[in-house]
Amino acid sequence: MRRFDMYVPANFDDLLAYIDEHPISNEIHLIANGSDIINRIQRRQLKARTLVDLSGLGELNYVKKENGTIRVGALTSISDLIDSPIIDSRLEVFREVASKFGGPAIRNVATVGGNICAASSSEDLLPVLLVLDAKVRLRSKGNERVIPIEEFLKGKRQTALKPNEILVETMFEEVGNRSACAFEKIGMRNSLIIAFVNCAVYLRVEESYRIEEVRIAFNRVAGKIPARAKVTEEQLKGTTITTSNVSRLESVIRGELRTSPDFRASAEYRSDVACVLLKRVMKRCIHELERR
Amino acid sequence: MAKHLLKFTVNGKDHALIVDSHERLLDVLRDRLGLRGTKEGCSTGDCGICAVIMNGRLVNSCLTFAIQARNKELTTIEAIGTEKNLHPLQEAFMKWNACQCGFCIPAMILTTKLLLDHSPNPSEQEIKASISGILCRCTGYYKIIQAVKSAAVEIRGND
Repeated sequence: MRRFDMYVPANFDDLLAYIDEHPISNEIHLIANGSDIINRIQRRQLKARTLVDLSGLGELNYVKKENGTIRVGALTSISDLIDSPIIDSRLEVFREVASKFGGPAIRNVATVGGNICAASSSEDLLPVLLVLDAKVRLRSKGNERVIPIEEFLKGKRQTALKPNEILVETMFEEVGNRSACAFEKIGMRNSLIIAFVNCAVYLRVEESYRIEEVRIAFNRVAGKIPARAKVTEEQLKGTTITTSNVSRLESVIRGELRTSPDFRASAEYRSDVACVLLKRVMKRCIHELERR
Repeated sequence: MAKHLLKFTVNGKDHALIVDSHERLLDVLRDRLGLRGTKEGCSTGDCGICAVIMNGRLVNSCLTFAIQARNKELTTIEAIGTEKNLHPLQEAFMKWNACQCGFCIPAMILTTKLLLDHSPNPSEQEIKASISGILCRCTGYYKIIQAVKSAAVEIRGND
């Protein structure tokens, strides 16, 4: 292991003061529980001389619900997230993601905040947070701001964090009576794998299944971060959706998707799979609504 | 380079050690405390062989820095059963020939012990999920799953 210093902040205020004096840079990096960072140090992708250890900040490990808004602390592990009673059957989507998210030993340490800040397309949580229209709260010494997660994710391993800022929580609205959210992933195996393509959908409909709001996010289709398919979303709004007419989604999404190849899958394969996944995930949302 | 005082409990025994920032939990357990039952496999979190129990949860000790285990309670394979009095899982793994080279077995025993502690009558799916992060290149998993089922019956019978 390459040598470095670890700074262990005494508490949250000490952390804010420390990164205010020693802004995050190539030299100084934050570490939560390490499931991503240690690999990056070993591969020499991360050359920090100092790591700031967040793992002791228990106050950032929580799942709360207030006035219909669900707030998840940045240091909440994937296991803690899905074990929380607040993540109820309407938010089963998080358990779907988690069941395909590494093995138990990874889920116990990988954090929600770490996933967001890693801003990498291998993070399965991101498309779900994108379709839930999640926001993130960023804190620095004496300052706080809340921005949409979409604005936070700037590119591969690039975020809107300022060098003296830390992400403290993500929040999103609860899934209502006429809403559903689902996720699917296709990879070489079910879990412990970076997907070829994954897809998340949030759907809100009227009684007649006329779409009031639809949000679609794909990951690993093109580019290095997950993104919403907004052209398709706009075109679908106001139309009626049923399990028998989901096939019409294919031509719409093909018009918008730009896929790119890598060693995992070709562009053509990706766009075919993306169409299949979208239809499948949409059907699951409709089934879920029909069951209520 | 900064040194840290690491206080933690391993297998019921309190320890206080001076560790370097970059020392991994795996290395401290094996090289400083001599607990060689925890094995090093891939060192990248893919194989799960180095798993230990930290505060009641399975973690990969290769992906944890030693200092991050401060004030935590750890359990390694050394605390499961004794040579004269094996844990029912260990008996069952022997009976079912679930150990071939044996390298993954400490992690397999720890994860399935956690499973049986929480869920005394697990479904096959639950057993598979509990060992899903641990690679075994010998057994094909079948015998491990059979051994866990039979240990579950044994433990339930003892209660």
